[in-house]
Amino acid sequence: MSEIPQLIRLERNDTDMDLSYADGSKFTVTYDDLRFTCPCAKCSPERNDDESAKSLRREVESLPAEKPKVRTIGKYALAFDWVKGCSAGIYRFERLWALANGQDPDGGKPYVHGAW
Amino acid sequence: MADSPVTKHDPKGSDLLESPSPQQQKQMESAYANMRRKMAMQEIGRKIKHKIMVLSGKGGVGKSTVSTGLALSLAQQGHTVGILDIDITGPNVPKMMGLDGKRLHVEQGRIHPAQGHLGVKVISMAFLLEDEDTPVVWRGPIKLGAIQQFIGDVEWGQLDYLVIDFPPGTSDEPLTVAQSLPDIDGMVIVTTPQDVALLDSRKSITFSESLKVPVLGVVENMSGYTIAGLTTPETSVEVAGPGGKKHRVTSDKDGKFSVTLDIFKQGGGKSTAEEFGVPFLGELPFDPGFVRGGDDGVHRIVSEPDGASAIAFAKVVEAIKSQIGTSSSQGLEII
Ligand SMILES: Nc1ncnc2c1ncn2[C@@H]1O[C@H](COP(=O)(O)OP(=O)(O)O)[C@@H](O)[C@H]1O
Ligand SMILES: [Mg+2]
Repeated sequence: MSEIPQLIRLERNDTDMDLSYADGSKFTVTYDDLRFTCPCAKCSPERNDDESAKSLRREVESLPAEKPKVRTIGKYALAFDWVKGCSAGIYRFERLWALANGQDPDGGKPYVHGAW
Repeated sequence: MADSPVTKHDPKGSDLLESPSPQQQKQMESAYANMRRKMAMQEIGRKIKHKIMVLSGKGGVGKSTVSTGLALSLAQQGHTVGILDIDITGPNVPKMMGLDGKRLHVEQGRIHPAQGHLGVKVISMAFLLEDEDTPVVWRGPIKLGAIQQFIGDVEWGQLDYLVIDFPPGTSDEPLTVAQSLPDIDGMVIVTTPQDVALLDSRKSITFSESLKVPVLGVVENMSGYTIAGLTTPETSVEVAGPGGKKHRVTSDKDGKFSVTLDIFKQGGGKSTAEEFGVPFLGELPFDPGFVRGGDDGVHRIVSEPDGASAIAFAKVVEAIKSQIGTSSSQGLEII
């Protein structure tokens, strides 16, 4: 785990959220990107090949716009509760940081269900 | 209109006095019991400050040893602690807590925990067994119902910590508990440095994401075995470890030396934790005293409160406390 700056502010807008970090950096992450990169065991494998990834993307984009409820998970993560769509993912602060910086939060690694 | 259910709500109330059928009565009673149990669970949730689940990918990695060790280590620090053993596949917590052969103590419909070493309150599936060597074969719904009852009907009193020992693997039990007991702080995943055990603990981590209970971290059990000896001061000693691996150490000015041998491969728990971005809570040494303690009912932490294992446990407890204490998401403003 590399050191990342502390997230100090999360502001929810209608279709995206603004993240402010302790080092003064600020980012905007769209809910579509957030939901597309859901780390749960059901969504993750969908991103393994282009075809299913595209359909996950379409699915996420077709969901009605809504502001999620945000919950803190332990010391190290956030979860987002949506009325529609998947709310299972636990987003570690590292994941959110990667997303904010436009990096692939999966680090380019395919997800293998329960069989690493 | 006589047969219509609307009659029951006749404002004149003429039919209200009609007593319900035995079946209705039963339904009402069970609904009432369920409601009471739900309220009791909420109440229990409030009275217990911290709830920690202990899980492992497979059996035999030391989940119960760690559960009881954490409970005792917390009790040593002056906390009031309970331990709930719902590992139906092999509920061995009572044995480790010196409560072998105990039966469930029920008073006025409430279950009362037994008191083990250092005043730790214990409830175990083993208390329900006629014969400890016969495993219970309960079908799903009965098992899960029993667990809910175990949670809702136990008179824990005020607790600082409740440690819950689960069956190995990704079974239904953790889900039932997570749904019944509000505000679980998180789960501790126990692993050994062996590759197979590691693989399974990775499953547990993914599992936690689906349970929406955070992973407090990974504990590596049976990490290394330390041997100590005495020889001439300041001389070099060679010790042959597992697989013929040679370890060279120099004794100190009193002639004492110690070497930690890798029984399995060391450090696997740490790399799993790192790979998954979850905290690593520490290593517990391989200590034959745990096996003896499990057999004669005196836990290692009780028989040797200042020993290396007790110290290792205290460190793991500190790491857990720092996870459930002030969080780094504290100070985060969500708008
Ligand atoms: N750190 C350790 N050093 C030596 N023996 C251990 C250690 N941890 C567990 N054991 C032994 O391994 C066996 C399995 O441990 P247990 O806690 O019952 O595992 P589980 O609950 O995961 O099935 C027991 O005999 C126990 O005494
Ligand atoms: Mg066990």
